[in-house]
Amino acid sequence: MNRKTLLAALVGGIFSLGTASAETCLSPYIKAKSGPEKLMYLWTLPAGQGSDYLSVIDVNLASPTYGKILKRIEVGSAGNEAHHMGYTDDRGRIWAASLNTSRFFIFDVRTDPANPRLERVVENVPGLTGLTGPHTPYAIPGRMLITMASGPDGTGPGGVVEFTNEGEYVASHKTPNHAYEIVVKPEFNRMVVSSWVPQKMFMSPMDKWDPKQFSNSLTVWDLKARKIVQELKGDPVPLATRWALKPNASYGYSINHAGNSIWMFRRGQDGVFSYKKAADLSAGCLPGDMRQSADDRWVYVSCIGGGEVQAWDISKPDRIRLHDTVQGVVQANMMHLTLDGKRLYVTNSAISSIDFSPRYALRLIHVGPDGRMKQDPFFNIDFTQPPNGPARPHDMLLN
Amino acid sequence: MFPWRKGVASAVVAPLFLFSCSTAAHEERPAPASPLTKNPHMALIRQAPELALVDIQGKEVRLADLRGRTVLLAFVYTGCTTACPLLTARMARLQQKLIAARLPAVLVSVTVDPERDDAKKLALFGKRFGARAGWHFLRGEPARLASVLAAYDEWTQRLPSGELDHPARLHLIDGAGRVREIYSLAFFDEEQAFLDIRALAREAN
Repeated sequence: MNRKTLLAALVGGIFSLGTASAETCLSPYIKAKSGPEKLMYLWTLPAGQGSDYLSVIDVNLASPTYGKILKRIEVGSAGNEAHHMGYTDDRGRIWAASLNTSRFFIFDVRTDPANPRLERVVENVPGLTGLTGPHTPYAIPGRMLITMASGPDGTGPGGVVEFTNEGEYVASHKTPNHAYEIVVKPEFNRMVVSSWVPQKMFMSPMDKWDPKQFSNSLTVWDLKARKIVQELKGDPVPLATRWALKPNASYGYSINHAGNSIWMFRRGQDGVFSYKKAADLSAGCLPGDMRQSADDRWVYVSCIGGGEVQAWDISKPDRIRLHDTVQGVVQANMMHLTLDGKRLYVTNSAISSIDFSPRYALRLIHVGPDGRMKQDPFFNIDFTQPPNGPARPHDMLLN
Repeated sequence: MFPWRKGVASAVVAPLFLFSCSTAAHEERPAPASPLTKNPHMALIRQAPELALVDIQGKEVRLADLRGRTVLLAFVYTGCTTACPLLTARMARLQQKLIAARLPAVLVSVTVDPERDDAKKLALFGKRFGARAGWHFLRGEPARLASVLAAYDEWTQRLPSGELDHPARLHLIDGAGRVREIYSLAFFDEEQAFLDIRALAREAN
């Protein structure tokens, strides 16, 4: 058996151990989990006083408490600006990053998935790493990589930091920009990191944002060397970035918030990456998140400005086209798509500094076999008032 | 690689991924094997927790006894029908390369299924893969093994099929007893591991 065949069989073997993962857009190093989803973890911050908290939501269709918040796990401190989360590679822990205080909150979800336990709070992250404004926790074997927007005072370039799953600091790797999100394609030993703005800016009202400080590039890394090998420049503020999921797929997309566009990156046969605009978004969309279907047929784009969710047909990767839209999701932001591609959960708080609507909610969009979307009129967790609010729902994970 | 072998590789990958996490809407050209990194970043991840388990002869092997040599530590079990045997085949190829290059590294495979993996089974497992001197197959009583697994952030869960679910990582430990790399079983590549071990040897010299 030659090297490549053995690697292919090895990858296949480990995936066949479990069944399908519950959702797309997770690190490929994360252990597979059988679906459909039963629980959702939602990283939530009060729109007012109080501690940030992890909401545990029943998303099991067969459950009598379907669509209800089952539990809140408070983290014991306020103003962290709960934002993005990530599973560790064994799916045993959730790392929840906080934009403002740079703290990491580590929850044990293996012992009792319905009752997450706050296992550790990693304090003084700027002191440990020299960086601030953590955005995306992303699993690699036994460790977490976390993108950091800026230097120790909340300005200047950021980087990617590395911790053990348990929360011990390992290393910092600088970037020339304000790092935002990570995607890894192990087959190529390549990591792509997107970028946005420094911490002091994103924690300020939008009218204080200075376009001159917007990052406009993806960095391409030799993952094993932890070294940037290319910087791809395009429209400003490339946020969510997805690499096509099929094995050896050489391309992916980013949504470029300030350019109101979708860009495509591609690894050539010579290993050199190219980066070009794939589509303009509708005027005023201001994309916030992008999710992908497991069959590389669709990507979904949330429009913070346009209050809608768009489905893009990417079956012809170089000629993507708008397929369908769902309107009326004010300030649509984070999304999570189930592995079967049928359920797309949507939240609608971006950052407390820039939210323009207090109509916070968790909604559900159903996707039909023809790729058409329809908002569920009944699934509506209202975060505007007690008992669930007022609170700002942001990132989700399914279990 | 001969064209038909490319076909075999694609045929193996495609159906398994159909089952797992993605379906290909259209074909991509086969990619070259994963690019290798000659100068890998070998972080100081943490001090490797001590372990003291017994080999197939019943002799106790301690990590501390292996100081001065690079150790590749894997958690597997012999009843595994999918990833563990493939991983162990890769480790066997790694051992051949290490011996040929005269790189002083030790391979350690610890069973995570001590109730079913007795010394005889472990010995047969090693023999099946052509393990040579310098590759230890270790087991321990469940209580002792549990503390080792916990120290390495490993765990097991019995599945209805009888298979054991476990995190399936490999730890590369340098001569000073420090974890310098952690591999996913799913993406373990013995050629890159060889380069990593060579980098640690260069560092030690």
